[in-house]
Amino acid sequence: MNVLGSALGDIYSFAIYCYFPVALAVFVFGCVYRILRMVFFWHRPMKAEPRRRGAGAVFIGLIRTFLDPILFSLRYRKWGFVFGLLFLHLLGVIPLIFLLAHHVAFFAYLMPFYSIVWPFAIPLSATSSVLTVTAPIEPYSQMSFTFVNTVWGPLTIILNGDVLTVLALVGTSFKIGTKIYERFVKGLRNARITDILVYAILLEVLITGYLAARHHPPTPVGTDIIVYRMLMGLHVLGASTLLAILPFTKYWHIIFGYWYGKFHEWYDLRVRRGAV
Amino acid sequence: MSHTQLLQTILEEVKKVVRWEGFDGKRVDEAVKRVLAGIDVVKLHYLENCVGCGACAPSCPYFYVDEKYSPVNKAEEARRIYRKKLTIAGMILGPLVEARLPKNEEDLDRVVEFVYRCTNCGACYTACPFGIDSGALMVLMKSFSTVVGRVPTIMAFLEAVERLEAYKEIPALVNAWKNVVDQINRELGRVVELDRKGSKVLYLPTLIDVISYPKAVVATAKLLDKLGLDWTMPSEPIGIRPPIAVVIGLSDRAKIVLKRVYDYIESIGPEIVVLIDGGFVYPLLRFELPIRLNVKPRFRVMHIVELLVESIEKGRLKLKYVEDKVTWHPPCQMTRRGGLTIEPEYVLKVVSRGFRRLPHHGLESYCCGGGGGIGCITFEFIEAIAKMFGVDAKQLISSDKERRFIEETEKAYKIALKRKIDDIKKSGAEIVVTACPTCMRTIALGAKLYGVNVKVLHIMEYLYDKI
Repeated sequence: MNVLGSALGDIYSFAIYCYFPVALAVFVFGCVYRILRMVFFWHRPMKAEPRRRGAGAVFIGLIRTFLDPILFSLRYRKWGFVFGLLFLHLLGVIPLIFLLAHHVAFFAYLMPFYSIVWPFAIPLSATSSVLTVTAPIEPYSQMSFTFVNTVWGPLTIILNGDVLTVLALVGTSFKIGTKIYERFVKGLRNARITDILVYAILLEVLITGYLAARHHPPTPVGTDIIVYRMLMGLHVLGASTLLAILPFTKYWHIIFGYWYGKFHEWYDLRVRRGAV
Repeated sequence: MSHTQLLQTILEEVKKVVRWEGFDGKRVDEAVKRVLAGIDVVKLHYLENCVGCGACAPSCPYFYVDEKYSPVNKAEEARRIYRKKLTIAGMILGPLVEARLPKNEEDLDRVVEFVYRCTNCGACYTACPFGIDSGALMVLMKSFSTVVGRVPTIMAFLEAVERLEAYKEIPALVNAWKNVVDQINRELGRVVELDRKGSKVLYLPTLIDVISYPKAVVATAKLLDKLGLDWTMPSEPIGIRPPIAVVIGLSDRAKIVLKRVYDYIESIGPEIVVLIDGGFVYPLLRFELPIRLNVKPRFRVMHIVELLVESIEKGRLKLKYVEDKVTWHPPCQMTRRGGLTIEPEYVLKVVSRGFRRLPHHGLESYCCGGGGGIGCITFEFIEAIAKMFGVDAKQLISSDKERRFIEETEKAYKIALKRKIDDIKKSGAEIVVTACPTCMRTIALGAKLYGVNVKVLHIMEYLYDKI
C-alpha cells in the first residue's frame, strides 16, 4: 500500500498513520480516566469562612504561588534549577514541543486554531536562525512563514531547534543521571525506576528528532531518504508513545497535575487561609 | 476511682495499643484500610502527581539531618501503599512500579522513623512546584504507624488522658488551672464569671497554655478586660492541647475531643472564640473543625494577635513603646497552616522600635523542628510529664526498642533545630517572641545547645507589662 508515495510498511508511515492515532486514542482515554478518578474521590466538605484579605492580596498570592517554588529552587537547588527547570523545561521541551516551526505546522494541520502560534514559531536549524539575524533578507521563494524580523528578534540565534535540543538533551541526561545516582547509590526511593524509563523515552525522542532534523548521517550524495524516514519514524513513534503514556506517568503534570496543584495550593493557602 | 488508679487504667489501655516489636499482619491490614479511607481528591493529587524532583527537600528541617528524611522520600511510604491498593499498574506489577505494602518488622520501623521526622510544618507544600503537601501524607502514615502499634507511649498516654478527661483529676494540673484563674481575678480586681452563657467572647486557654506560659494567660484576660469586651472563660480546661489525637494521626479520636470542645463553645454561644496557642490548635479550630465535624459554626475563631491588630487599628488599644531587640518566630501551624503571616509582626512593630524580622519569615519561615509530637519525644519531656502526673517515667517507655527510638529521635531533633537557631542568631535579636509552646521549648533548647543568648516568650507574655 502506498501512502503519499511511500510504502506504509516503513517505520515512518506506520508511526504517522497507524501508531499515532492509536496513541492519541489512548491519551484521550487516559485523560478521561484520570479526571473521572478525581471526580469519584471528590466530596463537598463543610468549609470554614475564608479569611478575607482583599482582591489585591489574592492576585499577588496567585503570582507568588507559581513563582515562589521557582525562586526557592534557584536558591536551594541550583543544579536542579539549571538543568531541570531551565534546560529541560523552559529552554528545552516547552519551546521545542510548542514553538518549533515543524511542530507548529503539524499541530496546525491537526488543529487549525493552532495557527495563531505561527508568529512565535522558531526555526529548526542554528544556521538559518543566525542568518535571520545577520542577513535578514526575505527568502526569494514563496514560503508560508519566514523567520526574518519575528517577535524573537536577535534571540532567534538561541531560539532554534538545534540549540534548544542540545539544552534539552543535557537536561534530560542530567535528570537520568541524578535519578540513577539517587536510587542506586543513595538508596532514595523517591527516585523511581519508572521515572528513569520515561526519561529514556524522552531522550530517544530528542535524539531521533535532532538527527532527523540535521539529516544525519550524511551520505556522499546528500540525505539518505530511507535513513531519514527511519529516524523520523522513530521520532514520531517515541513522541506518540510519550503521548499515550502521558496520563499514566509523571508527564501528567504537563496538562493537569501542575495546574491543579498550584491552583489548589493558591486557593487553600492564599484564598482560604489568607496567607500573604 | 482515685487519680492514681485512673492513670494506671489508662497506662494499661496504652500498653495494649503500643507495640514496638514484631509484625502483626492483622494490624497492618487495619492500618492500610485507615490510610486508604483518608484519601480524598486533594490527597489523591498529592499521591499521584509527585514527579520526584526533590525540590521540596531543602525546605524540611530533617533533610539536614539525613537526606533520606526529605519530604518526597518520606511520603513515598504512603505512595507505595496507595499504588499497591488503588492503581491497576500497582496491583499487577507491584514493586516494578514502586507499589508495595509494608511486609516485615523493618518496614514498620522505617515508617515510624519517617513519620517522626516530619513536623507537618507545610514548608514542603509551598516549596513544591506542584503544590504537594507531603506533611498531609505523613499524617496519613502517622495513623498507619499508630494503628500498627509503633507510637511513642508518651503520646498515646497523653492522648488517652485528654480523651478520657483524666487531666481533670490530676492535682498538679487542677492546681495550675486554679492558680491562673486566681491570678486573673487578682489582676483584674474582680471575680471573673466563668462559663457565663451568652458572653460575646469566649476566651479558650488550654492546659498547655496554663502550664507553659501562665503569665500570657493572665495578660490575655487583662487585655480582654481593657478592651471592655463581654467575655468569659472555662471553669476547667477543655483539654490538654485539644485534640492531641491529631498528633498521632487518629482522626476518629480527635473527633471525640473536638466534638466536646465544640459542644462546650455552643453551650456558651459566643460570637468570638479567642485562642492564644499558635500551634495546631489554631488552624484546627479555625479551619478544620467544620470539615471534621461537618458543622457550620456560628462563632468566629480568632487568635489573640488578630484581636490585637483589630484593636490597634481601630485605636482601641495603646501599647507601651519600647526599644527591645525583638523578633517574631512564626509557628508553622499559625503561619503556613493558619494564614496569620503578617499580624504578629504588625503588633511587634507597634510595640518595639528594635523589632527585626528573621532572615526567613512569613511563609518562608524555617520550622523549628519540634512539631508533630517530635518535641515531646525526649527523655526530659517524658520525665517532666511523669512527675507532673505522678507516674513512673519507666511506664512511659514501653521497651528498649522504644528507648532507642527516643534516643535517635532526640538526636535528630537537636540537629534539625540548628537551622532555626542560626536564623535567630543572624537576626541579632535578644528576645524571641512566638505563640506555640512547642516552638518555645524547642527554641529555648536550641539556644542553650548552640550557645545563643536569647529570651523566648509567648507574645502575650511579652506584652504583659505593655498593655
